[in-house]
Amino acid sequence: MDILIQLIINGIMLGSMYAIISVGLTLIFGVVRVVNFAHGELLMIGMYAVYLLCTKLGLHPYVAAIPVVGLLFLTGVLIQRFIIQPLLDADEHIQIFATVGLSTALINLALMVFGADLYSVSSPDIRTSLKIGTYNVLVGQVVMFAAAIVLVIGLHAFMHRTALGRAIRATAQNRNAALLMGVRVNQIYVISFGLGAACVGLASALVSPLFPTTPTVGTYFVLTAFVVVVLGGMRSMYGAFWGAMIIGLVDSLSAYYIAPDLKEVVYFAIFILILIFKPTGLFGFGRGTE
Amino acid sequence: MSTRPIIDVPRTSWLSMALFQLTRPQVYCSLFLLSLLVAIPALSGSAFLIHIFVTICVFAALSTAWNIVGGYAGQLSLGHMMFYGIGAYTTSLLVTHFGLTPWIGMWIGAVLAALVGAAVGYPCFRLRGPFFSLSTIAFLEVVRLLSIHFVGLTGGSAGLIVPLKLGWAWMVFPDKVNYVYIAFGLLLLCIGVSLAIRQSRLGYYLTAVREREDAALAAGINNSVVKLKAVIVSAMLTALIGAFHAMYLTFLEPATMFSLGTSIEVAMFSLIGGLGTVAGPLLGTVLVVPLAELARGWLGASASGLHGFVYGVVLVLITLTLPAGLVGTFGPAVSRWIDRLPGGRRRLADRIMPQLRQISGDKGAPLIKADNLVMRFGGLLATDHVSFTLNRGEILGIIGPNGAGKTTLFNQISGFLTPTSGTVALLNQEGAFVHPSSPDEFARLGIGRTFQIVQPFGRLSLIENIMIGAFLRHPHVDDARAVALRVAATVGLLDQKDVEARNLPIGALKRLEVARTLASEPSILLLDEVMAGQNQKDTMGMVALIRAICQTGVTVIAIEHNMQAIMSLSDRIIVIDSGRIIAEGDPQDVVKNRKVIEAYLGEDFVDAQGF
Repeated sequence: MDILIQLIINGIMLGSMYAIISVGLTLIFGVVRVVNFAHGELLMIGMYAVYLLCTKLGLHPYVAAIPVVGLLFLTGVLIQRFIIQPLLDADEHIQIFATVGLSTALINLALMVFGADLYSVSSPDIRTSLKIGTYNVLVGQVVMFAAAIVLVIGLHAFMHRTALGRAIRATAQNRNAALLMGVRVNQIYVISFGLGAACVGLASALVSPLFPTTPTVGTYFVLTAFVVVVLGGMRSMYGAFWGAMIIGLVDSLSAYYIAPDLKEVVYFAIFILILIFKPTGLFGFGRGTE
Repeated sequence: MSTRPIIDVPRTSWLSMALFQLTRPQVYCSLFLLSLLVAIPALSGSAFLIHIFVTICVFAALSTAWNIVGGYAGQLSLGHMMFYGIGAYTTSLLVTHFGLTPWIGMWIGAVLAALVGAAVGYPCFRLRGPFFSLSTIAFLEVVRLLSIHFVGLTGGSAGLIVPLKLGWAWMVFPDKVNYVYIAFGLLLLCIGVSLAIRQSRLGYYLTAVREREDAALAAGINNSVVKLKAVIVSAMLTALIGAFHAMYLTFLEPATMFSLGTSIEVAMFSLIGGLGTVAGPLLGTVLVVPLAELARGWLGASASGLHGFVYGVVLVLITLTLPAGLVGTFGPAVSRWIDRLPGGRRRLADRIMPQLRQISGDKGAPLIKADNLVMRFGGLLATDHVSFTLNRGEILGIIGPNGAGKTTLFNQISGFLTPTSGTVALLNQEGAFVHPSSPDEFARLGIGRTFQIVQPFGRLSLIENIMIGAFLRHPHVDDARAVALRVAATVGLLDQKDVEARNLPIGALKRLEVARTLASEPSILLLDEVMAGQNQKDTMGMVALIRAICQTGVTVIAIEHNMQAIMSLSDRIIVIDSGRIIAEGDPQDVVKNRKVIEAYLGEDFVDAQGF
C-alpha cells in the first residue's frame, strides 16, 4: 500500500511536468491548427539556456526562468513568423515536413554545439527531499506541481477574461470570422505560438534541475506531450492538465507493475486507442469548450 | 520552340507498342541514367564508391516504396522503418536459428510486414494528416521498445550479428560489388512496382482518395481498401530492402533498425525529389545521399550532427520554396526538352469509345423506394418522414426553398448520410431491392451523383478527373481513357482535356462534375444544382444533354433552382419545404399549388394575389 501511494505521488509530480509542456502544445495546436513536431526541441533549447545561465552566470534555475521564458517566446514568434506563417495555406503534409525538418535541424545543431554529453544543473536546494509521513517528494517536484496548477488556471483566466484572450479564442474557433471582425489573425498566431513556446520556457527551468539535458531530450518529452494533448482533447487547457496527470500516473505505475522499459509501450498503446476510438479526447473537451 | 508537329502513333500490335515505348526519349534516357547506378561502382571497383552506390540504391528504393503510401496515397507515414526492421530481423533470425536462406526469409519478412502494415493502417487511415503521422511514430516506438525488451529473441540493445556464411545463397560476399547488383535489382523492383501502380487504376484511385475523399466515394472507390493496398505493397517492398540491408550491414540493433530519424530521411528524399512522382524519390536520394556521405567522410566524427543539421535545414527550405519538389517543379520543362531528342514528339493516338451504353428495363418500374426518411442533426429535423418512389426512365425534379432539405435527401439516397430512421431500397441488377450502406456501394449499384459545391480532383487533369469515374466499369486505363474522351466530347469539354482541374472556371467545373458522374455509367443520375453558375447558352446545352442522357435509359433526379429549366425538363416534380414533401405531381399542377407558392413567396403574397 505504501508503495502504491508513493507511486501515485510520483505520478502526480511527473504529470505536472507533462502538463506544463503540453499546455503550450495545446495552445499552438488549438489556435494555429499546426501540429508542432519541433515542440520538444523548444524544451531542449530552454534547458541548454538554463544550463548556461546557471553555470556561466551562477543564476538559480528558477531565476533563470525569467530570461528563458522571454527567449522561448521570441523563438516561438520567429518560428511562426518565418516558417509556419508562409505555410498556413499549404498542404498539411508540407506543414508536417516543415516542423519535422526544424526539429531535425535543431537536434543536430545541439549535437554539433554541445556534443552528445549529458549536462546537469546542480541545485541541491531543489533536489532536497521532503518527507510527508513515510513518503518522499523533491522540492522541485512540489514547485512543478504548484506551477502547473497556477499556469493552467492563469492561462484559462487569460483566455476568458482579457480582450487578447478572447481574440485568440475567436481566431481559434473561426479564422475567417475573426478576420472579418477586425482581429489581426496573423498577429494572434504569432502571439499564440510565442505563448505556447514561453510555456515550454517555464517548463525547461523547472525540468532542468531534475533531468539531464541532451540533444534528444525533446524527442523523449514531446512524444509524451502529444499523447497528453490527444488524451486531453487537443484544444482544452484543462483537458491537457488532466491528460498529463493520467499519463504521469500510467508512467509511474506501469514502470513499477509492468516493466520499466515498457512504460512507453503502455501509454503509446493508450494514445493509439484514444486516437482511434475517441478522437475528441477522454473528457469530451474536444469541441465547443475552447 | 521547334514547330515540329506531334505525331499520333497508331495502335497496331503488341510488338509495335513495345517498340514505340522503347524508342521514346523519356524511356531510353531513364534507362541509360539508371544503368549508371550499377555501371559506375562496378567499373571503378572502389570500395568507397561501392558503399555509396549501395547506400544510394537502398535509400532510393526505400524512398520509392515510401512514396507509394506517403506520396500517392498522401498518408505521411513517419514510422516506415518499422517495416524495414521487421524485414531485417525476420530474415536474420531465420538465417541464425533455422539456416534459412535470406532469399526466402526476406519474403517471409515481407509477408509479416504486410500484416503489420494492414493492422496499423486500417485503424489509422481515418486519422487526419498530422495525427496519422503521430500514430505511425507511436507504432514505430512501440515496435522498437518491444524489440529492446525481448532480449531473448532479438538480442536487445546489444544487437544481433548475422552469421558469416559466404556466397550468393547467404547474400554475404567478400567481393562487395555483388551487393551493388542486388541493391540495384531491389531498386528496379521498387521503381517497377511504383511505375506500374502510377499507370494503373490503383494509381489514379490513390490520387483521387488523396485529393477528395467524398468525390472518390461517389465515384465508387472504397477508400480504405485502396489505401490498404498501398500500405501493403509499400510495407512488403520496405521489408525486402530491410532484409537485404541487414545482410549488407551484418549487424542489427533496434536503434538503427527502427530509427525515427531514418524514417524521416526516407520521407525527406521523396519530398525533395517530388512527392507522388515516380522519379522523385530516386532523384532526391541521388542528390542528397552522396553529399551527406562525402561530408561525413571529409569532416569525420568532429562534425557529428552536421549532416543531420543540413538535412533538417534543407527540409525546411524545400517546404518554403519548392513544395512540389524538383520533379514537380522542373519535371514538365525537362520532359519537354527531352522530347526534342530523336524519337520524341510522338504519342499514341487517342481512342474514343463510340457511344453511351443503352440501359434496358421496364419503363415506369420502381428503382428507388425511399420510405419515411428522417434525418436529425441535433435539434434540427432536416428531412421529416420523406417517402417517394423513383420510376425507371423518368426525370424527377426536386425543388424547394434554400434549407428545405433537398441536398440532405440526396445525401441519404446516395449513402453519404445514414438516415436517423427510415430506409432506402435500391433495385439491383438481379431485380431485387437491396439496402446498400456506404456511398461507394451505392455507386457500384448504379447511382451516380454530382455535388452542389463542385468537388474536382484539383491536381488531376480534366480528362483524368473523368477517368476516375470511368474506372468503375472499365478497370483498364486505356478503356477508361477512351470512355472519358467520349464523355468529355458529349459535355463539350474536349478542348480543355489536359487542363488541371484547379485551373478551370466554375462553369466548366459544373460540367466536369456531370461528366465524371456520367463516365461511371450510372443507371440513376442524381444532379445537384448543375445549372447554377452556367450562362444561358450552357444552361440550354445542359438541358439538351440531360434529355439525351435520359434517352439512353438513364433515370434522372435533379435538384434545381432554375425554374424554367427544371419545369421544361421534369416529368414529375417533388416540392420540399422544411424537410417535408408539400406537393408532388405534374410540373403544371405543382406551380399552381397554393402551398408551393406560400413556401416560395410567403403567405402575404398568396393572399394579395387572391389564389
